Amino acid sequence: MNAKERILENFKTPSNIVTRDIKCGKASGYVLVNPDISDSKTVRAVFFALEKESNAHLKTLEEFERYALYECETEISSDIDDCINKLLNGDTLVCVEGDERYLVVTSRAYVIRGITEPPTETVMRGPREGFIEDLRTNLSLLERRLKTPDLAIEKIQVGRRTKTNVAICYLSSVADGRVVAKIKERLDKIDVDGIVDSHYLVPYLEEKPLSLFSQSGVSEKPDIVAAKLLEGRVALFVDGSPIVVTVPFVAVEEFQSGEDYYQRSSYSTFIRVLRYVALALATLLPGLYVALQNFHYTLIPVRFMITLMTAIKGLPLSPLAETLLVLLLFEIIREASVRMPRAVGMAMSIVGALVLGDTAVNAGIISPPAVMITALSSIALFTVPNMIGPMSVLRLLFTIAGGLTGLFGLIISVLFTFHYVSSLNGYGSPYLAPFAPLIYSDFKDAIERAPFRDMKKRPKSIPNKNPNRQA
Amino acid sequence: MSENNSATEDVKSQSSGSTSGERADVCEKQSTSRQLVMIVFIMAFATKMFLLPIFLIQTIGRDAYIALAIGGGIDLSALAVFIVCMVKAQTDFFTILSAVLGKVGAKITVGIIGLFLFFKLNIGISETLRFYSGSVFGDFNVLFMLVPLLIFFCAVANHTLRALCRLNEIILPLIVVCIAILITVVALTGFDLANIFPSMQYPDVFKTEAVHHAAWLGDFTPLVLFVGRTKTKKHTALFAGISGTVGTGIAVFFALVMSAAFGNVRVLVDSSTNLSSILQYSLGNVYGRVDLFSSVIWSISTFIESALLYYAACRCFAFVIGKNAHFWIALIAALATYLIQVCAMTDPTVFSVIVTSIVTSVATLTLTVATPALALVCTLVHRMRCEKDVSGGDSKQSGDCIGDATRRVNGENRI
Repeated sequence: MNAKERILENFKTPSNIVTRDIKCGKASGYVLVNPDISDSKTVRAVFFALEKESNAHLKTLEEFERYALYECETEISSDIDDCINKLLNGDTLVCVEGDERYLVVTSRAYVIRGITEPPTETVMRGPREGFIEDLRTNLSLLERRLKTPDLAIEKIQVGRRTKTNVAICYLSSVADGRVVAKIKERLDKIDVDGIVDSHYLVPYLEEKPLSLFSQSGVSEKPDIVAAKLLEGRVALFVDGSPIVVTVPFVAVEEFQSGEDYYQRSSYSTFIRVLRYVALALATLLPGLYVALQNFHYTLIPVRFMITLMTAIKGLPLSPLAETLLVLLLFEIIREASVRMPRAVGMAMSIVGALVLGDTAVNAGIISPPAVMITALSSIALFTVPNMIGPMSVLRLLFTIAGGLTGLFGLIISVLFTFHYVSSLNGYGSPYLAPFAPLIYSDFKDAIERAPFRDMKKRPKSIPNKNPNRQA
Repeated sequence: MSENNSATEDVKSQSSGSTSGERADVCEKQSTSRQLVMIVFIMAFATKMFLLPIFLIQTIGRDAYIALAIGGGIDLSALAVFIVCMVKAQTDFFTILSAVLGKVGAKITVGIIGLFLFFKLNIGISETLRFYSGSVFGDFNVLFMLVPLLIFFCAVANHTLRALCRLNEIILPLIVVCIAILITVVALTGFDLANIFPSMQYPDVFKTEAVHHAAWLGDFTPLVLFVGRTKTKKHTALFAGISGTVGTGIAVFFALVMSAAFGNVRVLVDSSTNLSSILQYSLGNVYGRVDLFSSVIWSISTFIESALLYYAACRCFAFVIGKNAHFWIALIAALATYLIQVCAMTDPTVFSVIVTSIVTSVATLTLTVATPALALVCTLVHRMRCEKDVSGGDSKQSGDCIGDATRRVNGENRI
C-alpha cells in the first residue's frame, strides 16, 4: 500500500480528495488536495513549482522542500492522523513513491465573512470591529491590540470528529498560573465528538453547569476581550465561532458595557446605577405587585388603591393568574420576534403588543396595571441584555412566590437566590465580588466607573500575578 | 487598614481552597474579619430588636429595657470570650473539643450545644411567624408558609459558612439604611426620656420575672462555628466588640424609646409587636403603614440569624453523627422544625409556657455562659498542648494539632 492509498483508505468517500500523479526530478509521487477548502492559487503554485523542477535531480521530500517548494510554508510529517487532519483543514499533501512520509504544504483558505460590528454589542462610540468565524482572523484582531510578548496563545484541538481548534489566550505575566492550569485541565478532560461553537465549551469550564447563572463571560469584540485579558482573565477562542469565552467571571461584568469606557466616567457611573436599579425593578416588580394586591393591600396608599380597584374590577382572573398570563404572553411575543425574520418580527411586535394587549384589556381579561407592570419590568430587563435569560426565569418564580406567600415568600425567595449566587466561586473569583466579599478597591469598576487614571490596580476579585496596572 | 484587606483574603482563601492541598497546613478559613464583624452586628440586634421579649414587657412593663440591657450585657460578655477564642484558636471548635475532651466528651458537648441552638432557632421562627401572621398578613397559613422558610434553611445548611457570611455582607447595608431611617424618624418625632422614670418601682417583681425570661439570651452562641475558621487580624477583636456593642445598644435604645414614649407599653404590646411598630404608634396613619415596610426589611435580619442558627445546629448534629450527610441532616432538622412549629409553637399558651418556664431560663442562661467559657478553656488548653508538643519536638502530636484541619481542607469533614 503506497502513501496515497494509506490516506485515502481512511475516507468514506475519497472523491472529496483530489489526487494527481506527479513526476519531479527522479521521483514520482502524488499530490493530495481538498479543493473545497484549499487556496487554489497555492495549489497551482505547488504544481507549477514541481513541474518546473521536473528535469532536476530531486529524489527526496527534503529536496522537494528545499529546492522546489521553498516559497511555501511546509513541513514533513509521518503521522498519518495528523496529515489527514491537515488535509481536512485545507492543506496539500505531497508524497513520493517509496517514502512513507508526507510533505504538508499549508494551503488553507475558505470563504469568511468580513469584519463587521457585532449585532449583540453595538456602540455609539468606540471600536466597531467584531470577531468573525475564522480563528486566525480573530487572533490577529487580538494581537493587534495586545502587542506584547506576554500574550500567550496556546492552541489545542477539541472534539474527536470536528477536531476544532481552540486557542487559550492570556497574558502570562498577569493571569494566575493556577487558573490557566485549571482551564487546560478541564479542556483536556473533554472527550466529545464535536465542538461546533464556543458555547459548547462553557459547561465544561463552569463549576456549576446546571446553574441558572452564567459563570463565564462572552464577547464578540476584540477591545473587550483585550481589556479582560489585561485584568488577568483567560480568553478561549474557538474556530468557527465569533463568540469568545472569558473566565474567571463575576456578576458585575454583566452590568459593564464596552461603551462605559468610551464616555465620561460620571455619565457611565450614572448609567450603571440605572442598570442595577432597572434589574431590581425588572425582577421584583411583578412579584411585589401581586404580593401587595393579594395580601398586603393595606400597604398601598389609599388613592392609588382606589385607582387600582377601579382597574381590576370585574376581572375573571386572580392577580397572580393575570400577571403570570401577561408575563407568559410577553415571553412568547419576545421569543417569536427574535426567531422571525426581521421584517416579520416588526409586524409580530405590533400585533403582539398593540393588538393583542389592547384587545385583551378592552375585553376585560387582563387589567391595564398588569400590562403596565409587565411592560415596565420587561423594558427594564433589556438594560442588562446578558441577564435576560436568568432574570426572566427568576421574575416568574418571584411572581409565583409573591402571589402564593406574599412579602414573606418573596423575601425568602430573594434571600435564597442571593445565598445561591454567593456560593458560586469560579476559578477563585466570588461571583458577587466586589459586593460579597466586600472589596472596596474593585468598586472603582463595579457600580462606579472611575476615571482610568484612578484605576491603578487590577481587580482583586480576579486572581492575578501582577496587581499593578499603572505606576 | 487590616480590615480593608480582609475581603481579598476571602478571595485568596477560597482560591487556595480550590487548589486543595497547597495550604493544607492551616485550617480552612471560611469567614473574613469583616464578615465576622457584620455577622456579630446582625446577631446582636436582629432578634432583640425585631422580636421584642413580649412576655418580659408584659410582665415588667417599662423596666423591660433594663432587663434587655442586662441580657445584652451577658451576651456581650459571651461575645468577648468567643472573640478571644477566635484569636487564640489554631483550629476549629470541634477539633479542639475532640482533642481536649476526647471524642465521646466532645460529641456529648456538641450535641447539647446543637440542641440549644435548635431550641433558639425554633423560638426565632415562631416569633417571626407570629409577627407575620399578626401584623403583615390577614390570613397566614403557618403550615404552608413554613415550607419556603425551611427550604431556604436547608439550602443554607447544604452550603458553606462562607456563602452565608457573604449573604449577610450583601444584605446588611439594606438593614443599616433601614435602621438609620427609623432612628431619624424617631428622633424627629421626639420623645421625653424622663418618662422612663420612676424605674424599678418593684425590684422584687423585676428580679423574679427577669429570671423567667432568659430564653432570649445566647444570641452569640452560633459563633462557636467561627472559632478557628475566621481570618483574624490585628483589630478584629476590637471591631467585633464595637459591632456587638453597637448592635445591642441599638436594641436597648429602641426599647428605651418605646418605654419613654408609651406609659402603657405593658398593655400596648402583643405577640405581633416589634420595635418597628413604635413608628406606627408615634406617627399614626399620616404616612401609611411605613412601619410594616420597615418591619419586613428588618425581618431579613432575623431570617439570616435563624439561618445561621439552623446551619450551626446542623453542623453540630453532623459532628455528633460523625458523617457529612449535610443534605439528610438538614432535611431531618427541617421536618423536626416543621413538626415542632405546627404542634407546639403555634399555640401561644404552649409557647409562653415553654419560653418562660424556669427550666428553660436556667438551661438557656447556663448554656449562654458555659459554651463560651468551655470554648475558651479548651482553646487555651489545646493551644498550650500544641505549643508544648512543637517545642518538645513531638512531631506526631504537633501533627495531630493540624491533622484534623488538614482533613477538613481536603474536604473530608467539611464544616
